Amino acid sequence: MNTPLVTRGDWLVLGASLLLLAWLYATLWSSGGETGGQLHILVDGRELPPISLQQERTLAIDGSIGTSTLRIENGRVRFLSSPCPGQQCVHTGWLSHGGEFAACLPNRIALQIGGDEGRFDTINF
Amino acid sequence: MPATRPSHAAGHTLTTTVEDHRIAWLAALAITIHLAESALPSPLPGVKPGLANIVTIATLFLYGWRTAAWVVSLRVIVGSLLLGTFLSPTFALSFSGAVASLAALGLAGLVVRSGLGPVGYSLLAAMAHMAGQFAVAYWLFIPHPALLRLFPLLMSAAVLFGLLSGIIVATMLRRLP
Repeated sequence: MNTPLVTRGDWLVLGASLLLLAWLYATLWSSGGETGGQLHILVDGRELPPISLQQERTLAIDGSIGTSTLRIENGRVRFLSSPCPGQQCVHTGWLSHGGEFAACLPNRIALQIGGDEGRFDTINF
Repeated sequence: MPATRPSHAAGHTLTTTVEDHRIAWLAALAITIHLAESALPSPLPGVKPGLANIVTIATLFLYGWRTAAWVVSLRVIVGSLLLGTFLSPTFALSFSGAVASLAALGLAGLVVRSGLGPVGYSLLAAMAHMAGQFAVAYWLFIPHPALLRLFPLLMSAAVLFGLLSGIIVATMLRRLP
């Protein structure tokens, strides 16, 4: 056969595919990191009004055994201190993704980030 | 040379044509590649070289769309039977990818008629396969927006491997008498 290995039509298809790829990356990867928008705080089983994670602030929340402090910055949140013996909540560290959770059980305070949806623990094919 | 070869079974005659034999040979080749490839580890679910695409595209160029459609269908069905995935989600993905790529090849053949070589067809088939498979995965199995973030990566793999097998087919067809 005398046709070239890659025809002009092939180049066109390749060009179009690369454009399509660029467009896909631009549209589907544009929204940056997956940040949950809102922080939900439960105190003794009651939910406080949701708080935005975009605004930098330190909160003091009164729980059953004392005051816990929370730190919100850069779209994430953590327990800074809590009057509990175990300090599990403080060691949980920063929460930034939808569905992530930290709780201080002795003080009966729980934090959860409400994303659009929680992340999957696992996906299996 | 006769165009048909009768085979006698259970008292009646089943005639097979030359085309039947050709389809069987090509399908066997495609199934072999399909099985060999399934043993390869994959970095991402849904990503594999798709080297059986080489057989599809070569068949399309040598014998036309109808034969290619037969070869692809047989590969998907027999391949899944041999791998034990028949009618499983994996099969649904494989099947939808095959239908999408055959549709793309058929459409491309109708629309452009000439000027498109194996590389172009292979790219179209690979991308349609991935897109069809992804659409079914998204709508049927995991309708979660996070899955969409995987799509550009999957399509990049499709373009890369489509290009690769297209070049293999183009090179191969040149060397055929």
